[in-house]
Amino acid sequence: MRTLAIRDLDVAYGGVTAVHDLSLEVVPGEIVGLIGPNGSGKSTTLHAIMGLVPARGGDVLLGDTSLRGRTPEAVARSGVALVPEGRRLFAELTVEENLRLGLAARPSSEGVDDDLAEIYALFPVCEEFRDRHAGALSGGQQQQLAIARAMISNPSFLLLDEPSLGLAPTLVDRVFASLQTIAERGIGVLLVEQRAQRTVALAARTHVLANGELRLTLTPDDAGDTDKMVAAYLS
Amino acid sequence: MNFVRDALDLQVQVDAIGLGAIFALMAVGIGLVFGVMRLVNFAYGQLIMAGAFALAFASERDWPVGVGIALCFAVVLALSLAMERVVFRPLRTQSAAVMLIATFAVAFLLQSIALLWFGPLGKTATSLVQLNRPVEVGGVDIRKITIASIVVAVVCLALLVLLLNRTSIGLHMRAAAIDSQTARLLGVRADLVSTVSVLIAGALAAVVAVMLTVQYPTVTPTFALQETILVLAGVVVGGMTRLLSATLGGFLIGYVSGLLGGALPSSQSQYLPSFLFGLVILVLLIRPDGLFTRRRGLVERV
Amino acid sequence: MRAGRTAIELLAPVLLVVAAGVIGIFVSQTTEIYFVTALISVSTVVAIYVFVGNSGVLSFGHISFFAVGVWAAGVLSIPEAEKPATMPYLFDFLGSTTVGNVPSLLIAAVVGGLFALLVGLPLMRLSGLAAGIATFAVLGITNNLLRYYEKIGPGLNTFSSVPETTDVLQATVGAVLVIVAAFAYQRSRFGRLLRATREDPAAARAVGVSIYRQRLGSFALSGFLAGFAGGLYIHFIPINVDAVYLDLTFITLAMLVIGGTTSLWGAVVGALFVSALDSVLAEMEDGMTLLGRTIDLPSGSRIIVVSAVMAIVVIVRPGGLTGGREFSLPRLRPAAAR
Repeated sequence: MRTLAIRDLDVAYGGVTAVHDLSLEVVPGEIVGLIGPNGSGKSTTLHAIMGLVPARGGDVLLGDTSLRGRTPEAVARSGVALVPEGRRLFAELTVEENLRLGLAARPSSEGVDDDLAEIYALFPVCEEFRDRHAGALSGGQQQQLAIARAMISNPSFLLLDEPSLGLAPTLVDRVFASLQTIAERGIGVLLVEQRAQRTVALAARTHVLANGELRLTLTPDDAGDTDKMVAAYLS
Repeated sequence: MNFVRDALDLQVQVDAIGLGAIFALMAVGIGLVFGVMRLVNFAYGQLIMAGAFALAFASERDWPVGVGIALCFAVVLALSLAMERVVFRPLRTQSAAVMLIATFAVAFLLQSIALLWFGPLGKTATSLVQLNRPVEVGGVDIRKITIASIVVAVVCLALLVLLLNRTSIGLHMRAAAIDSQTARLLGVRADLVSTVSVLIAGALAAVVAVMLTVQYPTVTPTFALQETILVLAGVVVGGMTRLLSATLGGFLIGYVSGLLGGALPSSQSQYLPSFLFGLVILVLLIRPDGLFTRRRGLVERV
Repeated sequence: MRAGRTAIELLAPVLLVVAAGVIGIFVSQTTEIYFVTALISVSTVVAIYVFVGNSGVLSFGHISFFAVGVWAAGVLSIPEAEKPATMPYLFDFLGSTTVGNVPSLLIAAVVGGLFALLVGLPLMRLSGLAAGIATFAVLGITNNLLRYYEKIGPGLNTFSSVPETTDVLQATVGAVLVIVAAFAYQRSRFGRLLRATREDPAAARAVGVSIYRQRLGSFALSGFLAGFAGGLYIHFIPINVDAVYLDLTFITLAMLVIGGTTSLWGAVVGALFVSALDSVLAEMEDGMTLLGRTIDLPSGSRIIVVSAVMAIVVIVRPGGLTGGREFSLPRLRPAAAR
C-alpha cells in the first residue's frame, strides 16, 4: 500500500513563490481535501505532483519512489491521474475516444473490459453518448466523462482540480458521491476545491492553503465551524 | 479564350491533378509534424532532396530499382529521425519563431552539404524513367507517372486516415495535436508521438522523392526547393491547424500550378509567385487559420 | 554612473566598428574586400536588429528593403549613358536621372523606409509564426518583382557601372551612423515602449501602448536603415537579383542570432564574428597556409559551418555570443557585508 506524499514542496513561477514548504499525505482509500483562496497554490500543488511544473525544492513521493523530475506521462503511468481544472476534454473527439485516451496510462491491457463495465456503471453517460462529440455534452456530463477518463487508467491516486466548477448543486452532490465510491474502492483521492464546507465534510482531512503555505488542517468535525475557516483563509 | 480552352484540355487537367497529388502528400508531411509539434519544418524539401540523391546514387551504380527505393527510404527516415532528436526535441518548449529559425538553419545546412558533396550540377536518377512515358487513355496521352502519383497519393492518404482513426497511436497523435499537455496527463508519450509523426512525414517525403525523380531525373542541391515553398504557401492558405485543410491547400496549389503551367504562356506566368505569396499574406491577415477551416486557432494577432 | 554605462553601451560597438575600419585601411587590396563586406554587414544586421531585437517579432523580409535600396541607389547612380546597357526598359524618369553618391544613399534609405512602411501597415498586426511566414512572402514578392519588372531596374542582369564609392571609410562611417541611429532609437521613448511590448505584451497593452503602432514605427526605421545598407552595398560591388534573396537573408539572420538577437552589441558582434569566420573559411577554400600546414577546404564549406553554428547556437545558447545583452564593463563590487 503506497502513500502519495509531498514533503517540503517548494514551487516558483518566474521569481514568485507559488508554494512554500508544503507537506501532506494521501493514503489509499482516503479523501484528502485542499482548499484555500484563489491563487493560494492549490492548482500549482497538483501540477507539481504531475510534473507539469518543476519543483524548486522538496519532493513528491509515491511510496518510496520520488516522482520529481518525471514527465507528466511518466507520472500518469505510475498510477497518479489528474482531472484538470475545466476538465480539458477533447471536444472534437467522441466520448469513446476520450475514454480510450485514458487507457494510455494503463500498464497493461489486462482487465480493461471489466474496468470499463465498472466505469459505465458509475458514469452511465459514457456508454449512452459513446459516439457523440465530447463537446456536445452538458457540464455535468462532461465532468463525469473527465473523471471516467482518469479512472480508466486504473490509478492508485486520483487528483481533482475543482471538479464542482460551474456545476449546479445537485450535480455537485453526484460528483462528491462518486468520489466517495471511488475512495471506497481503495483509491487515494486528493481533492482541490473552492467549496470549502462540502469538502471539509467529505474529506478525512482538509488542508487549508493560503499564499502557498499550509495554514490549517480541518476534519469533518470542523465542518460547521465557519469562524475557524474564515480565519484560516484570511491568515 | 485560348487560356480557358488550354486549361480545360484533358491532358492538362490530368497532369495538374497528378501534380496536386504530389503536393498533397508533401502538405501532409508538413501538416502532420506541425499539428503534433507546432513546428514548421522549413527543411522538409531537403529531406526530399536527400531521398532523390539516394535514388541517383543507386541509379548510377545500376542497382535494381527496389534497392534504390529502399535506400531512398532509409536515408530519408534516418535523416528525419536525426532532425527530430537533435533539433526538434530540444526546442520543443521554445516559441514557434525560434523553431522556424532553427529549421531554416538546418535547411541551409543540408543544402550546403549537398552542394559540397555532389556539386551544383548534381546527379541523375534514371531507374524509373520509363514511368515518364505515356499511355493512351480515352484518346489522350497520360504519363504513367501521373497515374501512379494519383494512385499512390490516394493509397497513402487512405492508410494515414486509417492509422489516425483506428489505431491507438493515431488517437494519441490526434489528441496531442489538439491539446498536448492534457494528452500527456493521460499518459500519452510525447516523444513517441513526435517520433512517429516525423517518421510518417519522412516516409511521405521518400515517396515524393521517388515520384519527382521520375519527372525530373536531374537531382541538384535545390531539388524540390521551389515545390516546398509552394506547398508551404498552400498549407498556410489551406489552413495549418488542420490536417485536412492543409492537405487540401497543398493539393489546390499543386493543381493550380499545374494548370497555369500547362495553359499559360511563360511570359504571363512570371509573376505567379508574387500572386501566390500575396495570397498567403492575405490569408494570414484575414483568415489566419486558412481558407478551409472553421475553428478559431493558434495565430496570434495584435 | 548611469550616464557612464549608457555611453559605454554606445561606445563599445562604435569603437569595435571603427577599429575594424582602421585595420581595414592598412590591409592589402584583396583583404580589404573582406573588411568592407564585414562593415556593410554590420549596417545590415543592425538594421534588422532594430526591428527584430526590439519587438521580438521574427522577420524574414528585411533583405527586401535592402534589395530595394540596392535598386534605388544603383539605378540612380549609373551614368545616364550607360544605363541602357543593362537596363534598356527603364521608366523615362529613372533613365534620365543620375545622382551622386550621398544623395543615392539617402534615396535608398528613404525608399527602403517607405517600402517597409507600406509592407508594415498590414503586416504589423501579426506575431510569431504568422509574421515569419508573411515576411518571407514579402521577400518572395520583392524578389519576383525585381527580377522581372524591367522598368525599374536591370531585372535578371547584373548591376554594373555603379560608381564604386563605398570603400573602407564610407563603409565604416555608414556602419557608425546606423549604430548611432539604432542606439538613439532603442533609448528613445519609442524604443523602450516597444521593448516593453516584447517583454510583457499584456502589461504594455494595459497601460495603453499600441503594439501595432510601435512595431510599425520600428519596422519603418529598420527598412530605412536596411535600404541605406543596400545603397552602400551596390556602391561596393556589382550584384544581381539573386544575391539579395535567400542566401543573404540566411547569412544576415545567422549573424544576428549568433551574436545575440536582443542587443545592439549582439548585432554588431555577430556581424563581425560571422564575417571574420566567413572570410577565414573563404581563404581556406582557396588554399591557406596556417602554421606551416596548408588547409584547402572544399568550396561551399562556409555555409555548412555558418549554418551549423547557427543551429547549435539556437539550440544550446539561444542568447547568442553576447547573451543578448549590451556591452558592460565588469563591475567592481564595493566591499560590503551581505
